[in-house]
Amino acid sequence: MATRSARVGDEGPAGGETRRETGVVPIPDSADAPTVTRAPATEEVATRLRSTRSLPAKAAPAGAPARGFRLSRVGIASRATVAALIAAGVLLLPIPLDNVWRSRMALAVIFAVIGLSVNVITGHAGQISLGHQAFVGIGAFMSAYVVARFNFAAGFLAAGLTGAMLALILGLVALRIRGLYLALITLAFGLMAENTIFGIRGFTGGGAGAPAPRPALFQSDLAYVYLCLAVLAASLLVDWRLLRTKAGRAVVALRNDERVAATLGINVTQFKLLAFVVGGFMAGMAGSLFAHWNQFVQAEDFELRRALVWVLMAVVGGLGSRAGIVIGSAFFALFDFVVADIAGGSTWHLPLVGDVLVIILAPLFGAFLLLLTLTLYPGGIGQQLLPVRRWLAGGPFLERAHRPSREKKEERD
Amino acid sequence: MRQFLVIGLFTGAIYGLLAVGLVLVYKGARVFNFAQGEFGTVAAYVVWVFHTNGNAPYGLAVFAGLLVAVALGLIMERLVVRPLFDASRITLLVATVGVALLLIGAMFVVGKPEARVLAPAVGGRSLDIMGAAILPQQVLALVILGVLAAGLWLFFSRTNLGLAVLATSQDPLATRMVGISLPGMSRFIWGFAALLGGIAGIVAAPISFVTPGFMTTTWLVPAFAAAILGGMTSLPGAFIGGELVGVAQNLGIYFLGQRLALPGPSELTVFALLLVVLLVRPQGLLGKEA
Repeated sequence: MATRSARVGDEGPAGGETRRETGVVPIPDSADAPTVTRAPATEEVATRLRSTRSLPAKAAPAGAPARGFRLSRVGIASRATVAALIAAGVLLLPIPLDNVWRSRMALAVIFAVIGLSVNVITGHAGQISLGHQAFVGIGAFMSAYVVARFNFAAGFLAAGLTGAMLALILGLVALRIRGLYLALITLAFGLMAENTIFGIRGFTGGGAGAPAPRPALFQSDLAYVYLCLAVLAASLLVDWRLLRTKAGRAVVALRNDERVAATLGINVTQFKLLAFVVGGFMAGMAGSLFAHWNQFVQAEDFELRRALVWVLMAVVGGLGSRAGIVIGSAFFALFDFVVADIAGGSTWHLPLVGDVLVIILAPLFGAFLLLLTLTLYPGGIGQQLLPVRRWLAGGPFLERAHRPSREKKEERD
Repeated sequence: MRQFLVIGLFTGAIYGLLAVGLVLVYKGARVFNFAQGEFGTVAAYVVWVFHTNGNAPYGLAVFAGLLVAVALGLIMERLVVRPLFDASRITLLVATVGVALLLIGAMFVVGKPEARVLAPAVGGRSLDIMGAAILPQQVLALVILGVLAAGLWLFFSRTNLGLAVLATSQDPLATRMVGISLPGMSRFIWGFAALLGGIAGIVAAPISFVTPGFMTTTWLVPAFAAAILGGMTSLPGAFIGGELVGVAQNLGIYFLGQRLALPGPSELTVFALLLVVLLVRPQGLLGKEA
């Protein structure tokens, strides 16, 4: 674990507890962080690896009720109502919207899936990926290629699998090349994929691009939004369940400190590759959705600039926080359209074809938010959402002030 | 074939120029600076505004360009690098990517997405070197690279200030104990790196066009490959690495692109080269700790 979290850990036993409760990771850590405090990391890894059943209080999941807080009936009812309202709001939102906004919402949902895939690789496993356009792009092109020959379901599956395969290859590289060097190699990999793989004429149609028709069932924008929402729900479920399993805890453990994880008997190779495969599969699926959303794929859609936006939307959303990432991704997906609307443009299609000034505003504003997040609010949007999340999970809205001394006494009892 | 070799040597000079700045930041702050290219873009743009657009003398315009680049480096140091002094190096790396994106975006807004031509520092007809047409500006780039690499090598191996820069990155606490100001060193490193980036940009601009982000999109990744090939900490390594990457890339364009008709041969070559170096010889050709 890097200095940032080591600092948290240094505050005493309560430090580790606070960090786990937030469930928000500032940014991936690397093996080559300059100074490393071993003890808190070891403690945390050990706690995470212990089975949930034997030590329920210690291994309480993120957002669990604080000690000594009991829910009243009204509390349960109000929380259930709010949760149901949020779910219903998201599910029913596409119905009153017009087709333009339905299509935009679909893109926001696709971006959220991409954000979650960045989160699995960068947030959970701590492997920085600046070449995410390779996974998403290969999924998009593969989907278009297979749909033209078979059907949508096969294309969608093939997209996920090729995304996972490409990510697995990069994962194998990440076993040897770490930290700063991994960031660079993923960047070069993305550029290579963008120019070489996506330029192969027989596969992607070269610079001309390839059509990606929607299946008959999801032809309308309304049906397509629900398809995207279903994929997002599946991705959220996978992410949520992954973190609750031994595999998920192992992945997080190797993010914190690979060497400590290895000494605890975690197969670093296996779980690092697992994270890449899961993230790559999600990215490939998102690529397929993206291709059929636009009903056309071209290499320009998978530029480096876009890959960087995907990384920064995950960081601004808050690595490790599902809700934060979904909100952050939706924000960056809709940003172009909203700016175009305000500027008076009518580009409901890909903003890339519109005024150049519009497409650069998202990276510009995004970069500003990124720097703000990194320097001042390391938890991103997820950190800001924390009270809501804690409340919904059955805890108090505001966290009581942490007093390490009292915590220590409680633990001794 | 022979032309490609010669062109590679001169293209490599620009990679080397950027790589020298990357090596400086790595030696002083242990981070890969993705904003290095943008210092160059901004400096080149300022030179264009003053010289080509405003008819100011070339020397004055270059001075202004470098001044702006250094100011940018110092602002970045204060607002981004300093708050992340204790953060993980990956965090700082992502922050430098953010700075690069921010500068590219700002250039789009200020300068509009136009390709501008900047007059070269040395004019004249192109020279014929072994069948390849080489601009005098490219020769100048090679000369400047040689001077900078040698000068910086002397700086790090012979002066106390150079030693202090190395000490800052190796043991900040001990460095402070012997009375070296860490913020001061940090300011020096980033300001100096921005100056080097500015020089690279101003030298490279007349060879390509001045567009927003041109130094980052086309030159930065090969420059990183050059720095890593040279050992990431070695200044002669940056020079040699730049030349080798330039030559390898142009051979790639010749063999993969022209003979095999593969798309994107230059990106493919750079990626393959980077991968092979990092897997086989991660310490580079001349790399060592310090």
